[in-house]
Amino acid sequence: MTDNNNFEPKIIGFLCNWCSYAGADKAGTAQTPYPPNVNVIRVMCSGRIDPQFVLKSFEQGADGVIILACHPGDCHYKEGNFLAVQRYRLLLRMLEPFGIEKERCRFDFVSAGEGDKFVRLITEMVDTVRALGPMKIPAQFP
Amino acid sequence: MKTGVYFCKCGTNISDKIDAEKVRDSLAKKYPGIHFKTVDFICSEEGQGAVEKDLAENNIERVVISACTPREHENTFMRMLSRAGLNPYLMQMVNVREQIAWVTEEKDRATEKAGRSIRSAVNRVQLHEPLQKKEIDICPDALVIGAGPAGLKTALTIAGSGRKVILVEKSPVIGGMPVRYEELFPDMECGPCMLEPLMAEILHGQYAQNIELLTMAEVTEVIGSYGNFVASIKQKPRFADMHTCIGCAECIEPCPVSTKNPFNCNLNERKAISFPFAGALPNAPFIDEKLCVTLQGGQCKKCQEACPVENAIMFDDSEKVYERTIGAIIIAIGSDLYDCRKLPNLGYGKLGNIYTSKEFERFMASNGPTDGQIRTAAGTAPSSIAIVHCVGSLDANHKEYCSGICCQYAFKFNHMIEKEIPGTRVYHFYKELVVPGKDEFSLYHHARSNPNATFIRYADIQDLSVSGEGKSNVIQYKDISGKCGSVNADMLILCPAVIPAEESGKLGKVLETARDQFGFFQELHGRLDSAQSKIKGIYLAGTCQSPMDIQKAMNQGMAAAGYILSGLVVGRKLEIQPVNAVVNSERCSGCRVCIGACPYKAISFDTEKEKAIVNDVLCQGCGTCVAACPSAAIKGNHFTNEEILAEIAEVLR
Repeated sequence: MTDNNNFEPKIIGFLCNWCSYAGADKAGTAQTPYPPNVNVIRVMCSGRIDPQFVLKSFEQGADGVIILACHPGDCHYKEGNFLAVQRYRLLLRMLEPFGIEKERCRFDFVSAGEGDKFVRLITEMVDTVRALGPMKIPAQFP
Repeated sequence: MKTGVYFCKCGTNISDKIDAEKVRDSLAKKYPGIHFKTVDFICSEEGQGAVEKDLAENNIERVVISACTPREHENTFMRMLSRAGLNPYLMQMVNVREQIAWVTEEKDRATEKAGRSIRSAVNRVQLHEPLQKKEIDICPDALVIGAGPAGLKTALTIAGSGRKVILVEKSPVIGGMPVRYEELFPDMECGPCMLEPLMAEILHGQYAQNIELLTMAEVTEVIGSYGNFVASIKQKPRFADMHTCIGCAECIEPCPVSTKNPFNCNLNERKAISFPFAGALPNAPFIDEKLCVTLQGGQCKKCQEACPVENAIMFDDSEKVYERTIGAIIIAIGSDLYDCRKLPNLGYGKLGNIYTSKEFERFMASNGPTDGQIRTAAGTAPSSIAIVHCVGSLDANHKEYCSGICCQYAFKFNHMIEKEIPGTRVYHFYKELVVPGKDEFSLYHHARSNPNATFIRYADIQDLSVSGEGKSNVIQYKDISGKCGSVNADMLILCPAVIPAEESGKLGKVLETARDQFGFFQELHGRLDSAQSKIKGIYLAGTCQSPMDIQKAMNQGMAAAGYILSGLVVGRKLEIQPVNAVVNSERCSGCRVCIGACPYKAISFDTEKEKAIVNDVLCQGCGTCVAACPSAAIKGNHFTNEEILAEIAEVLR
């Protein structure tokens, strides 16, 4: 763990436009600081997040991926977030055989008002991935 | 491709944390010769003007705006691009204010992150395509299903704007339930008096020529989508011409056949030719085909002989099928009441003198089976009446929700009973009392202060047990404190839960419109859009969506009309946003996974070609199908795989 103290992980955050991206903006307007390790990719709906985006991210050097969606029942597109959860669960089962710790890929719900929750999740994610250390790209990556 | 990066300083909001020079240098390393400009406030008129000018002067083909959240100014900047003669989709915004400058403590790291994000946007924007809004012709007319208060209000509002409205009603009479009620809460206005002016407007008013009323009709098929639906409507024969009939009722008396009258809850008889009830509109009788001697092949025609008008009674009338093109559909089919036989402890259907609220309303109606007199089965005035609230409502074993209207009509009953038979004892058995609003308290206080009224609160409706003893019923109860007791009641009125109308399942299938866990038509959003269904162009008004009172039903009808008046504007085409899904039919394997993934039923299947087709009007551009397609045959415009992967690749470089 001490070895990783100076390690700054690169993390990709997939955020849906309507809730979680707005939650991130909320943290911004509240000017609550959080580590800058997460680069946000905005999609209209978490249902758009193709598992291959996550796998490509790992392949291209991401140390972690965080997917944030609208709370159940709040999806702007009614149910895209439910499909996102299902895909995430299947994806987790694929990560371990590749040698990717499942903690490197996280899913959670953030509403447009939950700036504080967004900050907490990002901070936790950065801490978790920092503790895991850099991604060792698996040899048999697809 | 010449790309311009415009870096907004946002006063000092961004420039205090992010060093524009360093960002420029990091960009130039990757993209030598990139056009980079800092602007004080891009969103200001001056800033937009400067960028517009710069875009033109430098022949910029792709634009990256590094500024605030796209949720704030993406549309502003898209319009700016359009003014500069660029396709507005050839731009990518980078949210450096909310998501970097304001939340990153160290300036170096904020600058590094901003540079990385801008580089990734530059990489993405190269792949952007100039997308065009599509425009389609629309039909501004509407189909309203159900001619109760909500449907009438919607139809009249839309017709008033000069559009055509097809108003379909399954029964021979319009006005819905309240037109059958003598008086209405909260201010004891007479139901027919309140609704008749509205119905007269529909039938003979200034805009009546815009309204095609089809009674005894149902919608059997709908194809198409928002702006261009085609509906098939099947109408049963009425055998009386609504236009020539003068409504004199001379035909009724000679008719030799009688049956129970469902419009009076089967509490009295009607003839084979009849009006649902006195004063029913449209003012023309209808013939029950199964009962009529002539229509069953016998010799009669007594009604026709009695009719003073020629051709008003038409034995050769037949079922008709209409096809109508409309742009929008409003569901306003109302609701039903919970079957009280599902609570056998209350004795409904087994014991005498136990009525539902709807039946009791007909007792009190001056055009009802008892001409407005409250009478027991023995024909005497009851000396005690028990009103049971919350029958099936707020009850996990029946309907979990509160029906919202029952307390108010129960207090109305209290008032009417007191007026009709002064001194009658009234027992209110209730689980909860609900009387919100600025007008509803008056009847509540009136009931509460009535010395003949007794309020008994129960915890569970199973704690009530009704048994018949002689001419009276006995209600044994345990109240909420656990105290047991019993009261005699000559008459019981049950206030059943409001439930979805029986035909809502069938109509839901015809319209492919979702219903909620209770069977009510599901709204798009409970608070923002309760008058819109989950299908674009199909709207909800009244109790088909949720239990509600007349005020709310009327308002919802107006809201539905509002969506149509602002969404389908006469003379204006329907604009279709280009950020939607597009199927590449060469790649499509016909697996139909996308059809199940689409939350808007926007994808259909061409069975001949065995390919999926996206309906541009219904597609909302969420991209769920794009991620679902196992053949990567669906492109999510403006969020293509290539664009997103380009963003990821550069961010991780």
